[in-house]
Amino acid sequence: MFSIVPLAPRGREYGPTRHHPSVQKDVDMGLDLDDDLDHSSRITSPGEMISSSSAVLRGHGTYVEGEGVIASVTGVITRVNKLVTVRAVKSRYSPEVGDLVVGRIVEVAQSRWKVDVNGRQDAVLHLASVNLPGGIQRRKLETDELQMRNFFEEGDLLVAEVQAAGGGNASLHTRSLKFGKLRNGQLATVPPALVRRLKSQFHSLPCGVDLILGMNGYIWVSKHVKESEQLGEEGFDAEGVYSNVNDDIDNATRAAISRVSNVILVLARHHVPLTDMILNDAYDWVIEQGISTADILLGEAGESMVLSVTAQLP
Amino acid sequence: MADGSASVMHGLTSVMVTVFGPREARSRATTQHDRATLSVNDGRACIQRGYVGRILEFAANIKSTFEPVLQLYLYPRSQIDINVQILQSDGSLLQAAINATTLALIDAGIPLNDFVCGITCALHDATPLLDLTSLEESDLPHVTVAVLPKSGKITLASLETQLAVERFDEMLRLTGDAAKVIHIEMVGVVKARTDRIVRAMDSAQASGGARGIPDVDAEMGE
Amino acid sequence: MPREVEPPIVQREFVLTALKESIRIDGRQLLQGRQPQLIFGDELGWVECALGKTRVIARVSGTIGRPRPDRPFEGSFTIHSEISPMASSVYEAGRLSEEEVLITRMLEKVLKRSDAVDREALCILAGQQVWQIKLTLHFLSDEGNMLDCACLAGVAALRHFRRPEVEVVGEEVIIHDPTERAPIPLSIHHTPICVTLAFFEDSEHPIVDPNHLESLLMDSQLNIALTHLSSSTSPTLCVFQKAGGMPLTADEIRNCVEIAVRRARVLSEWLEKKIKGDWEGRKASIEVH
Repeated sequence: MFSIVPLAPRGREYGPTRHHPSVQKDVDMGLDLDDDLDHSSRITSPGEMISSSSAVLRGHGTYVEGEGVIASVTGVITRVNKLVTVRAVKSRYSPEVGDLVVGRIVEVAQSRWKVDVNGRQDAVLHLASVNLPGGIQRRKLETDELQMRNFFEEGDLLVAEVQAAGGGNASLHTRSLKFGKLRNGQLATVPPALVRRLKSQFHSLPCGVDLILGMNGYIWVSKHVKESEQLGEEGFDAEGVYSNVNDDIDNATRAAISRVSNVILVLARHHVPLTDMILNDAYDWVIEQGISTADILLGEAGESMVLSVTAQLP
Repeated sequence: MADGSASVMHGLTSVMVTVFGPREARSRATTQHDRATLSVNDGRACIQRGYVGRILEFAANIKSTFEPVLQLYLYPRSQIDINVQILQSDGSLLQAAINATTLALIDAGIPLNDFVCGITCALHDATPLLDLTSLEESDLPHVTVAVLPKSGKITLASLETQLAVERFDEMLRLTGDAAKVIHIEMVGVVKARTDRIVRAMDSAQASGGARGIPDVDAEMGE
Repeated sequence: MPREVEPPIVQREFVLTALKESIRIDGRQLLQGRQPQLIFGDELGWVECALGKTRVIARVSGTIGRPRPDRPFEGSFTIHSEISPMASSVYEAGRLSEEEVLITRMLEKVLKRSDAVDREALCILAGQQVWQIKLTLHFLSDEGNMLDCACLAGVAALRHFRRPEVEVVGEEVIIHDPTERAPIPLSIHHTPICVTLAFFEDSEHPIVDPNHLESLLMDSQLNIALTHLSSSTSPTLCVFQKAGGMPLTADEIRNCVEIAVRRARVLSEWLEKKIKGDWEGRKASIEVH
């Protein structure tokens, strides 16, 4: 006798979503049989033959052995023309050029920083790829190299863009006023697959909270900063940009930040892809129902919230 | 938070495995330039003298079982850590640990050539027994085998008690069949979970997409 | 920990290509092991075994002590082994490397857990006094396959060892001096022989007794310990250990076991002859006195 039960690190992450009886019927109705078949045939697991190697090109998540293309991860098979790939439902972030990421400095090295971006390798941020005080186009000096810790030090969070990527390695840059050190908020971590590429990864929610959806699954939730303040004066204010001190945050904003973070965590726990629309809906629902910030994380409240934002058909 | 985790119960034996990585290698000495380094850690407390060796051997067995199955060459200079924690022990520990490690690696989305299915087999007179308890393990000649179900090949085989040569062959064949059963069970669990996640992601997307979220479909490459 | 320097890529290619052609670098056949050499010391229970340039010294000693309270009728048998930096620069003193752990554990399984030594025969006075037998292994040089060499040395030393005779009169234990009464050998249940096979991804056939270079390059290794190897008995597996590495089919494994049985039979016969020869030599020297 044996039984195999995969467990999530936190609670019942993969437990089946229970629905309210009245909704369950709708959910069941919504899934017709064809859809069901389609799904299960698209899902594969390691060691399973996908097709013959002569017919297709193998992409990520597959390997060739003898005549066949075989899956090496579990996920959904996707085909683009002849290219077959299997995308793992859960995996580390693999950087692509142009991605916006939120990272954490783990090491200050010779004229570069090492940044944890939830990838298989730490990303690199060169001293030449950051804006320095005293004008954007200023030359890098030796003195800058000696005081790198004044800009970023170990543990600092930053938002940056992937400048170059290859083989799991990435190099970042923060040469825009939108990028740079983060403060006035808190970090929420979700699986990278849940963050989709949108027109913009920067969002301002109506509740007075700013959101940066890093493509690597790190999400920065912070106090709203007005557009005019954000851009600041022409001359680039070093004090402000590399400051380690939080602004004054009133209690209402603090509550809103925590609420948004918790909403993000609960949605991620139920594998709901994150967009500003969904977050907004979820936030409104929480306010409407009068659920306290801490209670969002509890099973029942969280589940009803997820249900209300996902299962409602348009 | 772990990148992947699984817990496996075979009767009263219960094992939990967590996987971290692939991530930046923490120690330069063990970094390999052309492949990821695999490290296995068994979180058992050593109470008895001479137990340290047994635990290290246990971890080394798991490590060398998974090294050729994992596609480590995809992650040069990285590191993958496997942590095994025995929660409850009633025999067949290696079997449970191997099965749990397979599931945890799959959960972490790390490419594997195939599942690895562990199974123990003992012989009572001429009657073979599968999936042993502590009591059976201590009294009977037994073998622990790890099988790759796709090819039916054996990657680990460990026999520590005396057994006639002819009997051994018979037991290997039996474990091959038993591993197939375990494989079906494991694939079922993995697919059910993947299906659940994919559904959750799709349903949210469907309702969200209808209300005008841009660019989501392009990402899926459909 | 200093890591073993990997052999250069060209050398690796050379060795592997040669193996594919069924040629081994040291000129042996694929299934030909190195001929071991045993040197018996003047003292009983001291044996040095050499397998090519791999050399291991085994030493058996016995003391009288109290038994474990839960096993009043049993003596103890312990194995002490440490691979010192003398064997190879990759081993560090006082620190367990993975390889060392595996060799030590394997020796424990082959010699101790398989009950090669009859522990009940080591009891002198139940609950009071028993023989405590200690096997110490010194690894002198590592030129591949230290396990087989150590196992051979250990088994030979156990067979070679003689303990003084003891007599129990009432509650009193009399230990007879070896010059007074001939010392007696240990009671050994069986004599296990260990055979190591190595596998390479590209070549079809396994090789027996890999040397140092081959063990660096191999993709998988198989340790088989066998006993009851005389031609009249059917061979019995004592330990079978394949810890991961390249996967094999059940047929390949059966084939390997057959290869191991053949080699173990040869070694076993040779070992018996050697031990007997040494003993005969000793008898002669006593007669001269």
